[in-house]
Amino acid sequence: MKIDNPEQLSRGARHLLALLACGLTVMVGLPLRDVLDLANIAMLMLLTVVFIAAILGRAPAILASFVSVAAFDFFYVPPRLSFLVSDVQYLVSFAVMLVVSLLISHLTTRLQASMQEALEREQRAHALYALAQALAGAMSVAQVVRQVGAFVREQAGGEARFFLPDEGERLGEFPEAGHPLGLDESLVLEAVFRAGSGDPSNCVSGPNGLDLYLPLNGATRRRGVLFVRAREDDPGVPVLRPMLEGVASLTAIALERLHFVEVAQASQLEMAAERLRGSILSSISHDIRTPLTVLFGQADALALAGDHLGDAEREAAGAIRDQAGRLHQMVENLLDMARLQAGQVRLRRDWHAIDEVIGASIRLLGDALREHPVKVGVARELSLIALDAVLMERVFCNLIENAAKYSPPGAAVTVEVRPDDGGLAVEVRDRGPGFPSGSLGRVFRVFERGVPESPASGAGLGLAICRAIVEAHGGHIAASNPPEGGACVRFTLPSSGEPPRIEPELADPAGAGS
Amino acid sequence: MSEHQTGILVVEDEQEIRRFIRQTLERAGYRVFEAATLQQALDDAVARRPEFVVLDLGLPDGDGTDFVRAVRDWSRMPVLILSARSDEANKITALDAGADDYLTKPFSVGELLARVRALLRRAEGGDAGAAQVRFGEVEVDLARRTVTRRGEAVHLTALEYRLLVVLLANAGKVMTHRQLLREVWGAAYVDSTHYLRIYVGHLRQKLEADPTQPAHLRTEIGVGYRFQL
Repeated sequence: MKIDNPEQLSRGARHLLALLACGLTVMVGLPLRDVLDLANIAMLMLLTVVFIAAILGRAPAILASFVSVAAFDFFYVPPRLSFLVSDVQYLVSFAVMLVVSLLISHLTTRLQASMQEALEREQRAHALYALAQALAGAMSVAQVVRQVGAFVREQAGGEARFFLPDEGERLGEFPEAGHPLGLDESLVLEAVFRAGSGDPSNCVSGPNGLDLYLPLNGATRRRGVLFVRAREDDPGVPVLRPMLEGVASLTAIALERLHFVEVAQASQLEMAAERLRGSILSSISHDIRTPLTVLFGQADALALAGDHLGDAEREAAGAIRDQAGRLHQMVENLLDMARLQAGQVRLRRDWHAIDEVIGASIRLLGDALREHPVKVGVARELSLIALDAVLMERVFCNLIENAAKYSPPGAAVTVEVRPDDGGLAVEVRDRGPGFPSGSLGRVFRVFERGVPESPASGAGLGLAICRAIVEAHGGHIAASNPPEGGACVRFTLPSSGEPPRIEPELADPAGAGS
Repeated sequence: MSEHQTGILVVEDEQEIRRFIRQTLERAGYRVFEAATLQQALDDAVARRPEFVVLDLGLPDGDGTDFVRAVRDWSRMPVLILSARSDEANKITALDAGADDYLTKPFSVGELLARVRALLRRAEGGDAGAAQVRFGEVEVDLARRTVTRRGEAVHLTALEYRLLVVLLANAGKVMTHRQLLREVWGAAYVDSTHYLRIYVGHLRQKLEADPTQPAHLRTEIGVGYRFQL
């Protein structure tokens, strides 16, 4: 008799089968009882118990043990067909037989059970490998959720639900909110998500003692919580907790990988957009610069070398040149502003001495400062500071030029640099009328000028560009009208850390003048 | 016509700019060859043997820096770069590759001619070879390794002196950070610009009348330094 899956039979049926088997053995043994020794009959009965234990399980085997001993006594031991025993030593035989058959049934069923368990474990391991493989290839969070959900359902008989944080770090069920959790369950969920990551396996059992809350711990941060709802009739979930913790780690790794894939894709897109914007800006600036360069150069050539021109014509040529120069300045400002406002100005920071940047800016302004001496006061022994000198030169040029523009002829512009909270504070002051009252908060906005319709030139972008550059450096810029008159723009540049060390130079007679 | 006209090759893809540069240079007495592409420029540089090149960096068929590299393989003729403010990085690569100076567009006629004259004079060796150099109140005696300011000896450390000598030897020309660092400190230091900041600061303190607005030891922001005699 072959029973494929004895578990499927009910308890009664299994016991009945055990009794039938015992009966069969007795019937087979009866015609042989005169041929065979009693000990061999006992062996047959024991064999039957072994089979029953192996096939039908422990309880039928125990029943069969007793029944076999009783049947052996009743049918085979003289006097036959009676439970009486002629020889007392048979009692020892019965006792040994009973103990042996009980032992055998116990050992056999245990072997059976551990074999079964090993099989199940192997199957789970296979399923786990398959899951790991599937997760490694998953291309979306939805796919991960589906795979893990199916795994938990098949292997642990539970229902897996995923709670993932949104951008505001608020947990929400993925892919869609299912049956709402109870208040206590939501609290546990939240607590598991917020718990410190110090304990790597901070998995928590639910209020009912069956459900599991598994934090999805990625390498860099917590990626969410896996909630496994146990079925009430299935002990799989709590029993398989170690395996489910492994599943949670796999899930976390998969989610993390998908997150970084997403980040990489986004930054690639952003780079493409950035490149496009950059190429548009540079082609515009190239297209505008070419005619301006020609216009500026030709007018300059006329103004300088036009010996055959009258003074009036030469003056006109000079005016054309100057206006072309201003136009160019404005275009550069507009393009700068476009670059800065597009965000993500990549600072090319390097270590600089601030007075050097100021000196270079003053030299660059050149003629514009003909009537305005610039006094530079830099505290001695300022350390180097990391900044984008090309951009910072724009800031100083704009501020100093602005200051000169609004100052009466001959009045000095002052630039003061002082240490400030580890970084620097810079003040540019003029002796002009100051900013119009009420406009102090607005002067750094795009297209805002101090004096409406003032004769001073500039598209009003200068200060806005200064602000964008200073803020890109992490600093702050503000305008004020100091009590002693004039206008003042003050900006800070925060500390950029310790400048790299300079190897001291050995005292060396090769130096000059020693 | 005069006995010898200096030949200048103008490499620029914009016809209008090329024409205006040509007019300016011809009026100043130079002989001008024009090239609109990198390939043509390379051919002309060999065939016409110019003594000077004015080079726009953005050419339709390649990078002006490639031209500088190719020319530097066989010639020391001065190369003046025309650049836009936005292509800072290209300008520095071209200067590192051996270009001598740059002009940012738009530029004035006077500036262009001044740069051309200064670089040609350098190339002819007009400034070189003197054992003594004077600038401002300072006199440097290269033979005796002494520096004096208003007649008084100025002490310079070995590296300060070496930096000064390199700058003097390249007076009138832009020296990039990398070039200066390599020549004074060595190849391992080409990215250590903070050394330059500190040492140039020292030199200015010792030699310039107003160290914050230096007249001779000038900063080319984002590029390097230029010594102006």
